[in-house]
Amino acid sequence: MSMMFAPRLTEAAAPTTHAAPTWSPYDNNGGTCVAIAGEDYCVIAADTRMSTGFSILTRNYSKIHQITDKSVLASSGFQADIRALQKNLDARHQIYQHQHSKQMSCPAMAQLLSNTLYYKRFFPYYAFNVLGGLDSEGKGCVYTYDAVGSYERSGYSSQGTGMQLIMPVLDNQLKSASPLVLPLRQSTTPLSEVEAVDLVKDTFASAAERDIYTGDGVEIVIVNRDGIRHELMDLKRD
Amino acid sequence: MEIDEHIGCAMSGLTADARTLVEHGRVETQNHRFSYNEPMSVESTTQALCDLALRFGEGDEESMSRPFGVSLLIAGHDDNGPCLYHTDPSGTFWQCNAKAIGSGSEGADTALQEHYDLNMTLEEAETLALSTLKQVMEEKVTSSNVDIAKVAPTYHLYTPQEVEAVIQRL
Repeated sequence: MSMMFAPRLTEAAAPTTHAAPTWSPYDNNGGTCVAIAGEDYCVIAADTRMSTGFSILTRNYSKIHQITDKSVLASSGFQADIRALQKNLDARHQIYQHQHSKQMSCPAMAQLLSNTLYYKRFFPYYAFNVLGGLDSEGKGCVYTYDAVGSYERSGYSSQGTGMQLIMPVLDNQLKSASPLVLPLRQSTTPLSEVEAVDLVKDTFASAAERDIYTGDGVEIVIVNRDGIRHELMDLKRD
Repeated sequence: MEIDEHIGCAMSGLTADARTLVEHGRVETQNHRFSYNEPMSVESTTQALCDLALRFGEGDEESMSRPFGVSLLIAGHDDNGPCLYHTDPSGTFWQCNAKAIGSGSEGADTALQEHYDLNMTLEEAETLALSTLKQVMEEKVTSSNVDIAKVAPTYHLYTPQEVEAVIQRL
């Protein structure tokens, strides 16, 4: 009788073991995104390759999505999550337009995107975003995000599989002052629009050499006071 | 009362009901700042208050069984410049350049209509507002029985000294 209630001194608690997961809700479709802010323009670019593992799904997929007349979102990562995120933002923007009789400014969209991402903090959108456009004063702005919504406005940024190849080049060519340095200095680049587009083309051509997930083509979107313009450039297909 | 840094309001009627509306306005404007990192426009704020007035409150548990018995004057400054809105218990709102609400409002509205000019300075507006009030008040206007607030471009409630200064100009 007493043995039934005696504490077990020698048997350690058996740890629960999980079988190695065979299914993941996420996949990485690869690719790289870049954005550069100028005095009165913003360049947003992304490659057009969509891959899974070591295979290519398509050479011609757009990672760029225009949300308002002045904001353009480029995202790399899991494209299914990205598509859902784009639709979410579009719906929210429509509601905003109905309620406030105007389009959202780029800084407002930036905050909305951050909140939307953090809303799914415990089952995140596998999306690495760069938001580019013109702010309310017509100056170029670039916002860069992590998967859960931490964001920062800067003069340029890149995200995705080719990020680590491209970012140092942009740092070298566009080095802008840290936003933490006072007095606050302009973060937009003094480069002209044409020079910025050429720089973007060069960086993608370089990234495509070494990053296997980046290639096939690069889609470039330029936002300025006259509207939005698209350019397409071929990249190596290997 | 202040609703946000750039919006204030004045109330007339069952002022206890007004507190609920102002609180709702404060919550809505802060939610907007949280979501969009920008100040909410005065018209949208007014619309949000009127939505509440229309439903007699929010949700199933917190809604009232009667309308909010209060009219509001919402004054603010946004991208469209300074603006004024008048709301009533039905949930309708109108944009105005000048308005008086409350028991003496008819006489005051007439006075405003005569003397209001779109290009008035702030000082002229202060004097007009207070002299109009003086006309319809039974007691003498002193710094302890009138309140003045302005939104120019941020909300500021006058101190008794500042009110006194305006009274001196009457």
